[in-house]
Amino acid sequence: MAEAQTEPRRPLPEITELTAPFWQATREGRLVMQRCRACGELVWCPRPSCVVCGGEELEWDQLSGRGTVYSFTIIRQLAGRGARAFEKDIPYVIAWVDLEEGPRYYTNIVDCPVDNVEIGMEVEVVFDPVSDDISLPKFKPRDA
Amino acid sequence: MSIRGKTAIVGIGETPVDRLGRRPGERRRTIPEYLTWAARLAMEDAGLTRKDFDGQGLAAIYTTNYLQPFWPEETASILGIAPALSMANANGGAATVSALGQAAAAIEAGLVERVLCVAASCTFVENHNGVEPRDVRDHEVPYGLMGANSGIALVMRRHMHQYGTTLDALGNIAVTARYHASLNPNSYLKKPMTLEDYKTSRMVADPVRLLDCVMPANGGKAFILTSAEKAASMPRKPVYLLGFGEQDNPSYGPRTHSDATIMGIKDAGARAFGMAGATPADMDFAELYDDYVVIELMQIEDLGFCEKGDTKFFESTDFSFKGTLPIQTGGGMINCGQPSTAGGMIHILEAVTQLRGDGGERQVANARTGIVTGLGGLPYGKNLGSTAVAILSNETGHSNG
Repeated sequence: MAEAQTEPRRPLPEITELTAPFWQATREGRLVMQRCRACGELVWCPRPSCVVCGGEELEWDQLSGRGTVYSFTIIRQLAGRGARAFEKDIPYVIAWVDLEEGPRYYTNIVDCPVDNVEIGMEVEVVFDPVSDDISLPKFKPRDA
Repeated sequence: MSIRGKTAIVGIGETPVDRLGRRPGERRRTIPEYLTWAARLAMEDAGLTRKDFDGQGLAAIYTTNYLQPFWPEETASILGIAPALSMANANGGAATVSALGQAAAAIEAGLVERVLCVAASCTFVENHNGVEPRDVRDHEVPYGLMGANSGIALVMRRHMHQYGTTLDALGNIAVTARYHASLNPNSYLKKPMTLEDYKTSRMVADPVRLLDCVMPANGGKAFILTSAEKAASMPRKPVYLLGFGEQDNPSYGPRTHSDATIMGIKDAGARAFGMAGATPADMDFAELYDDYVVIELMQIEDLGFCEKGDTKFFESTDFSFKGTLPIQTGGGMINCGQPSTAGGMIHILEAVTQLRGDGGERQVANARTGIVTGLGGLPYGKNLGSTAVAILSNETGHSNG
């Protein structure tokens, strides 16, 4: 771009009463999700009640942080609103990781050349402190 | 009680599209101008005036870049009509097909005699409210989500992995749609395209390429629905709604390991076929919501036109207007531009054009019945979140075969 522009700010999640325990845990290097006390199912994304049985008692449960890549994309070009904040990262990988405990997690695959990522790859969580409050769970190859 | 054959589309309106406003200061039209223009064209087509819509129904399609909670009232105010029923349809690209079903139900229930459904958008310039579902905003956007490209790329990669889907299969769809666009005076991208052009186009979100993607544009579209009884005495050949189905927030397979290659259109389609008393084999053409090429392919599978993952079918089928399964007979949204949520209406308008016999150089011979789809939203961890299907015919009592 010809004209000088300020460094765009990266979009960050909003911490709310509901999601505060999740972001507290990621700051401490733990991946947690809500588990329904009534039916035992994991609930993701965070919800006020269980999406399976409607139970209202949900407790935060620590996960192993391990999973496998269900699918992925290599971002080669900017598109859409807020995209420019990620310009310097290109190329980078966005993936769906199926966690050992079940839920599918939308994330980045890091610490791995983009061309080495493949479906079925075993990965584990790492935490990227993108701000004082937010550490984003990302995933790297298990053997890396 | 069913709404099968009880209502008909009696007017359509479509403005030209453009891509003005990308550069600062570039002169362009606004959403109110496109709304007014599209509504006027539809009314002229139906032989109606604004006065005919006082005390009638208005279906106002929310546009993602002009979202405000009183949109139907503002639309009525822009058009200068005083509706007795207003619907706010907000399922993104599914909204116009969804509105068609709801409008038919309102007419059949006797709430109103006719409904004007109108949508417009100026993609580049109107205020963006930054409306994202919370899941997407908190748990996808911070990872560098690139519009819809990244979400569709995840689905496309999985489909290719699971079924061995080839670029030849996808390219056959893309090339056919462009060919149809070259025969459609209202299309935007008319330059002929080869399979090689598709396969070598620039990678944007691997495996999604530039020629997989729909193109944002400015424009407006409208249609008018009324009872079959009233339609009989109106100037244009009525196009009857024989079947309608919708499915929102679907997932398939185990809850936590759902199959992202299957879409809600499977259930929406089954409902629409069931209501119409028809099967895929009865369809003379299909106008499929096309934000991305792979999404067209998945709909053809999930609507039951072929087996899931039948790559050979996609590589060898003639999808042209002269072929065995004509699709995207006007070029689709990918070649005609996507004015945000108004874009989805293009498939209804093309189906009406075909069923009136107004398809010109791209007319499907003896077209009697066709299927139209709308899809919207890319919720967290899924493919499309909202799906709607309509079966349209120029015969009110259409039966199998």
